[in-house]
Amino acid sequence: MTTDRSVVRSVLNSGLVLLGLLPAVASAQEATTVTGKVTAAVGGAPLAGATVRIPTLRVGATADADGMYRFTVPASVTGEVTLTARRIGYVTRSAQVNLTGGSMRQDFALDATAVELTAIIITGLGGEREKSTLGTAAQQLNAAELNATRAQNVAQQAQGKVPGVQITGSGTQGGSVNVVIRGQNSITQNNQPLFIVDGVPVSDADRGGDRGGQNTAVNINSTGFDYGNVLSDLNPDDVETWTVLKGPNAAALYGSRAANGVIVITTRKGSGGRMRTELNTTLTWERPSILPDWQNQYGQGAGGAFSWRNGSGAGVNDGADQSWGPKLDVPGRTICQFTSPGAGTPGCTPTPWISHPDNMEAFFRTGFTVTSTVAVSGGTDRAFGRVSLGGDNVNGIFPSNDFRRRTAALTGTFHASDRLTAEGSVQYTYNTGHNRPGTGYWGRNPLENYIWLGRQVDIHALADYQGKSGATNGGPATREFNWNYNYHNNPFWLQDQNPVVDRRDRVIGSLAAHYKIAEGVNATLLTGSDFYRLGIEEDYARGGLAFVNAAYAGGFRFVNDYRSDNNTALSLAGDRRLTDWLQVHAVAGGNARREYYNTNSQQTTGIVVPGIYNPANAAIAATISQRLERRWVNSVYGSAAFTLFDWWTVEGTARNDWSSTLPQNARSYFYPSFNTSLLLTDAVPGLRSRVFSAIKLRGAIARVGNDAPVYSLAPVYIGNANKFSGQPQFALDPALANANLKPEITRSDEVGAELSLFENRVTLDASWYNKSTHDQIFNVQVSPASGFTSKWINAGEINNRGIEALLTLTPVQLPEGIRWTSTLNFARNRSKVVDLAPGVSTIVLGNGLFGDVTIEARKGEPYGTIRGNPFARDSAGNILTDGGLPIAGPFSVLGNIQANWTGGWQNELTYRNFSVSVLLDVRRGGKIVSLTNYLGDYAGTMGSSLRGRETDWNAPGIVVKGIDVNTCQAPPAPPNCQPNTTSVTAENYFQSLFHLIEPYIYDGSYVKLRELRVAYDLPAKWASWFMGARAVSIAVTGRNLVTWKKIPNVDPEFAYSSRNDQGMEYMIPSNPRSVGFNLRIVP
Amino acid sequence: MRHRTFRLGGIGALLVLGVSACDTNQLTTINQDPNNPTSAPPGPVFTNAARLAVTRWLGGGAMDLRGPEFTVQHLAEVQYPDEDAYRRLGPADTDGDFINAYSQELKNFQAVIDVGKANDQPLLWGPAAVMRSLVFSYITDVWGDIPYSEALQGDKGVLSPKYDAQKDIYADLFTVLGDATNAMAAPPAGAQKLGAADPFYGGAALGWQRFANSLRARLAMRLANVDPATAQAQIQAALAAPGSVFQSNADNARFPWPGDGIYDNPWMANFRTRDDHRISNTLMNAMVRGNDPRVPVYSQPTEWDTTASGGPLCATPPCYLGMPNALTQSGASAYFNVSSRPGAVFYGATVYGCPTCGARTGATFPSFVMTYAEVSFILAEAAERGWAAGSAAALYQQGIQASMDQWGVTDATAINAYLADTAIAYKGGTPGLRQIALQKWIAFYTNGVQAWAEWRRTCIPETVIPGPDAIQNTVPRRYRYSIRELSVNADNVAAAIARQGPDSFPTRIYWDTNPTAAPTYPGATCGTRP
Repeated sequence: MTTDRSVVRSVLNSGLVLLGLLPAVASAQEATTVTGKVTAAVGGAPLAGATVRIPTLRVGATADADGMYRFTVPASVTGEVTLTARRIGYVTRSAQVNLTGGSMRQDFALDATAVELTAIIITGLGGEREKSTLGTAAQQLNAAELNATRAQNVAQQAQGKVPGVQITGSGTQGGSVNVVIRGQNSITQNNQPLFIVDGVPVSDADRGGDRGGQNTAVNINSTGFDYGNVLSDLNPDDVETWTVLKGPNAAALYGSRAANGVIVITTRKGSGGRMRTELNTTLTWERPSILPDWQNQYGQGAGGAFSWRNGSGAGVNDGADQSWGPKLDVPGRTICQFTSPGAGTPGCTPTPWISHPDNMEAFFRTGFTVTSTVAVSGGTDRAFGRVSLGGDNVNGIFPSNDFRRRTAALTGTFHASDRLTAEGSVQYTYNTGHNRPGTGYWGRNPLENYIWLGRQVDIHALADYQGKSGATNGGPATREFNWNYNYHNNPFWLQDQNPVVDRRDRVIGSLAAHYKIAEGVNATLLTGSDFYRLGIEEDYARGGLAFVNAAYAGGFRFVNDYRSDNNTALSLAGDRRLTDWLQVHAVAGGNARREYYNTNSQQTTGIVVPGIYNPANAAIAATISQRLERRWVNSVYGSAAFTLFDWWTVEGTARNDWSSTLPQNARSYFYPSFNTSLLLTDAVPGLRSRVFSAIKLRGAIARVGNDAPVYSLAPVYIGNANKFSGQPQFALDPALANANLKPEITRSDEVGAELSLFENRVTLDASWYNKSTHDQIFNVQVSPASGFTSKWINAGEINNRGIEALLTLTPVQLPEGIRWTSTLNFARNRSKVVDLAPGVSTIVLGNGLFGDVTIEARKGEPYGTIRGNPFARDSAGNILTDGGLPIAGPFSVLGNIQANWTGGWQNELTYRNFSVSVLLDVRRGGKIVSLTNYLGDYAGTMGSSLRGRETDWNAPGIVVKGIDVNTCQAPPAPPNCQPNTTSVTAENYFQSLFHLIEPYIYDGSYVKLRELRVAYDLPAKWASWFMGARAVSIAVTGRNLVTWKKIPNVDPEFAYSSRNDQGMEYMIPSNPRSVGFNLRIVP
Repeated sequence: MRHRTFRLGGIGALLVLGVSACDTNQLTTINQDPNNPTSAPPGPVFTNAARLAVTRWLGGGAMDLRGPEFTVQHLAEVQYPDEDAYRRLGPADTDGDFINAYSQELKNFQAVIDVGKANDQPLLWGPAAVMRSLVFSYITDVWGDIPYSEALQGDKGVLSPKYDAQKDIYADLFTVLGDATNAMAAPPAGAQKLGAADPFYGGAALGWQRFANSLRARLAMRLANVDPATAQAQIQAALAAPGSVFQSNADNARFPWPGDGIYDNPWMANFRTRDDHRISNTLMNAMVRGNDPRVPVYSQPTEWDTTASGGPLCATPPCYLGMPNALTQSGASAYFNVSSRPGAVFYGATVYGCPTCGARTGATFPSFVMTYAEVSFILAEAAERGWAAGSAAALYQQGIQASMDQWGVTDATAINAYLADTAIAYKGGTPGLRQIALQKWIAFYTNGVQAWAEWRRTCIPETVIPGPDAIQNTVPRRYRYSIRELSVNADNVAAAIARQGPDSFPTRIYWDTNPTAAPTYPGATCGTRP
């Protein structure tokens, strides 16, 4: 299926007209039946979903899959009228026809448009609008644009395509995706946009970096398992359009959660007519796109010495997990190692001390992903629908890691009468992941092993651990075979023998009834629900160092989440041309939202019988937790847009919410917005020319209110599920509740211009915006000596200002079919934390591993300041040393995570049946704290740690370029400091950098070859062999093929979660590079 | 046209009314937390806070096993010796303990006190007041001037409490302990008790009176150098208060661990996953000098001695050896198998018995918060100084015997031999005070902050000096203020620093400002690496 979008109301209207007027046809003598075919001007393909209307009469129809339309005009109307045909992505055409009764035919051939200035866009709660009348920034991606290449989370498929929308993928397959539109609004609360599927708000909750109760909102090195965002439940093949409403302006009608922008997704609906089958299959293969550059010259140990005895200290440095040991690959050098014959006994036979440069690459396998969707649609004029089944099988790049997704979607439309239409859609998803790798600084992150892996270790020997206990080489019998028994588990054993399974069942469903009250006036009752149940089972085998109590046979953690978000709305929408010069589009409605979240977990660090992960087998009583959250929000809203003379539109919107989370007297909050757009080329006669096809100016101001987190008004005592010697335990909540909270307010202004030049060969859509969120509700830190660690207050303000531009060029468009389009997008956001709470100058969003670096919201600076220990320097900037080692200076600001700008450049070249599209995704600036590099140097495993030991472990050494503080004279004598001349070993130098984070802060800029797609459409005559398909396309696709970056060893794109504490990484896998094939059969 | 507009307007108005008419009381009900109550009975609040307090000050964190135990050189760090070198004892490392001591423990004790006082229930608020005083004394002994008089009133709007001078805090602690003792001694008829919610004494008033008076005596003696008059007066007051001080090991403030895998002895819980700790040479040398029979309880034979694959490391196994503090990483790891781990009592399932705690495995071994041994040494010192009646020699011997009993040493012959050793037998005078201080330091094993505080007061043993890789030449005399406080209570911290001295390790806190008044004190070189 191509991009036929089903416009609900158009279908509805046409259906109603058709059905409603049937009796009239029967009785009238001279009704006119208008028929025709809508095709693409280039190629002649029929354009399903195109609408053909007589605007003055408000009658029309939607073209079917063959591009055919048909409607009837009552006999009472005769004479010359204008007939317009429009379809998203095409230039609207009009034709003058003369209605004379009887039957007449008018065909249309539409030119594809590069700009969507004339397109119809899904916006607000009123449904679709012509983009030319919009006073706010919005951008719509159609299915083809969104689905050029496949990623596990549909959000990632929009990466680099929409200016101002920063989408950061997790390197962990199936992991979290962080989406921020126009900068972070909120200091500590959610900054993710609101997602709406077919009119129903859906959850994008995440369990990124989840580790039960131990994980706090400000733990940046998120240890645990990244279970991803639940948006990944959506099958991209069911998506019809993906519309980004960029800020409060466009989104004010959607309510509180829209302050961060809205992403409106519509799904495919099908249409009446013959049955159609579609098929889309993609096969891709994945490898890590970036691997660190480890050193291969020195093995495990300290001070250049190593010898295995028991892997926990009995030998020479054999308890150490660092690589400051003897030089590798020295001819004749043999040392007793964990694999040596007789290892663990005094009679160990030393074996050659050699490097294993592939020991990381060999750990990964080539990932393989198959995704398929089959869909059938069809029906009659009165009732039609679409059924789709989708399946994803992902064999991850980590051993034994895989994902399965099954989706089933059913949509149906039923014209019950000439006034009543019912629509329903239900999507069911089953999503499961097995053995996700752990993330962050803990033993369950298999990559952490590589920071701390003796560089001589042969990973192939570890892969062969089955049937061997630690006793095989001198280690404990209760452990698996490994190279170190102090700090690490065998990475293969971790992946294979410690099952981690997550399963999610989810239903997103909606039911809508539309009732035509009068021509152009419809009432709609919509009720929708998004609910899912997520079950997580983490099993920890005996001998695991993370989580398991060493005295027992293993442990487990089970989590069950249930979340539902139900919305019921009753609305009234009118779209009428009142006079020749005035068109009104108005909506009024009310919505009731009921949010429910229930989570419980059971966990224990000790079980009795190995391998049985069940509370009945718990040796240590399982800790149980349970939490229930409910939020109700009632709303009324309304909007009215007046389009005057077809070139000037003014629109006002208003919404009032009543939220359960606010105190009774502050519960109700009202927020209006106002916007206007001016189609200059229509307003000023003679302005439209060969150069200027269209010029539109727009401006908007808006406010959006937001409520508080649940249960933040009254102080509570928090119970402890564990009894102490049978005694219950309670503690006062250290977050001080506040009964006087009021709603927080985001205010946003924006202006924009949309230009179309040279008959749409060049188009530009540019915006400038300025938005501030003040009176923020957040849990501000207070002096803990007050007895509370924080207090809920209204305070603070964040401002984001920026520009966005989308430039589309069609440099080549020849009649024979060669066509080159180039799309550039650019966004620059300037964030500023204007104010925090009284007396508070900074709020820590996340902490580094050892408290040595923080990510903060600091007053007067952009959101996301990095602070840590720099080198201590003298006034001239020279590094100060003591004993040849650098000294740490005071904790200070070292950078900021905000990018200077982000952009994308997409090129599409089409020639006959061939097309090539290439997408480059760019991020410029913004700092990253790399704990991978920091600890890789500390541990002596990173390539960069070879500095100073080029000759041998202690030679030539490092003479730090700096000033030796010990040479300085005490005041009042002149300081007379001398340069440092003391040489230190690489080991001492790099370990002295502990707590000294400055050298490990990098420029996060990158350019990624994000997408590449080379496609070939089979000739139409061949296509028909496939189930009568209209088109068959085969393509070679690639994602994340090349990354140009400044930071060494790691992927500058990473996210552990969709929380706010971004910008710091520790051994997170790179976003996989994937290459594959795609087959698409379009009916 | 017009009638349609009316119709539209009418339906719109209906919608608005329909939705906004929703019962707002229901919205209020929805936001009542179904997970947590707005009030809780005092017993469970006390239990929880007491457990957390003991875990903090006698546990596996920066306020004991990963801090003061190294600073005072009971233990040394054999792997990643960063805490031992004071490198990881900075504000970032000790911050959490400052924060949580107030918000998790003190505030909850305060809540019990508030409820107890409001209902005139001294057997509820008394024990909470003693625990609150204990925790405040620990905090002030680590940091010096701290928030006290304005603390714990966040719910009354005091979000940035001022820092009080330690002198004033001590003065108030004496008052509070005195009041609590008097109130508990005369409870109203039918007074509520904590009962089983009190892990120390099962709610018994006498136990808490004695604990309060013993704590008062401890704090009094802490002032011996700076304010001997107060010290003397408070010790006498503590002895004379209802219930007096501990009379035997049975009175010990001993925290029993259920050992259920969730609440295990915190040292045992640490050693279960970490193998970082060895006995310090400083402690081992002080103990083996007189053949201290507690050595096999405090420590284990070295690994290579027991596995017989390396030894012999000493002439006659079993072989107990310490290791130096604050070595470099590779230097420290050389001691991995040739130095003693802490005693078997803190490891796994070893069954261990002592007269006052019964047969215990490592997980159920109690934490000794305050003991009869310590009280005996306080009284011995008071007697030697002439502040209290009694024979200093007898009290000194009683302290050693109590410590032996407490640690389960039952071999009377060995104990008598130890007491008869020329280095151990009581000498009286200043040498006697030195002996008392040394025995107290040994007896304080597992109670790091107390051992460190007494070392700062007495400079005994003098052998506590920074190890070779320590980042400074002097043993810390306090820890640095909380990073959090520096950010959210900056003005008050600044005032405290201006009064007390730079926020650094060498700055001396109030009761440490007149060391030369201590007869045991060798002078400015105390704790300084040559």
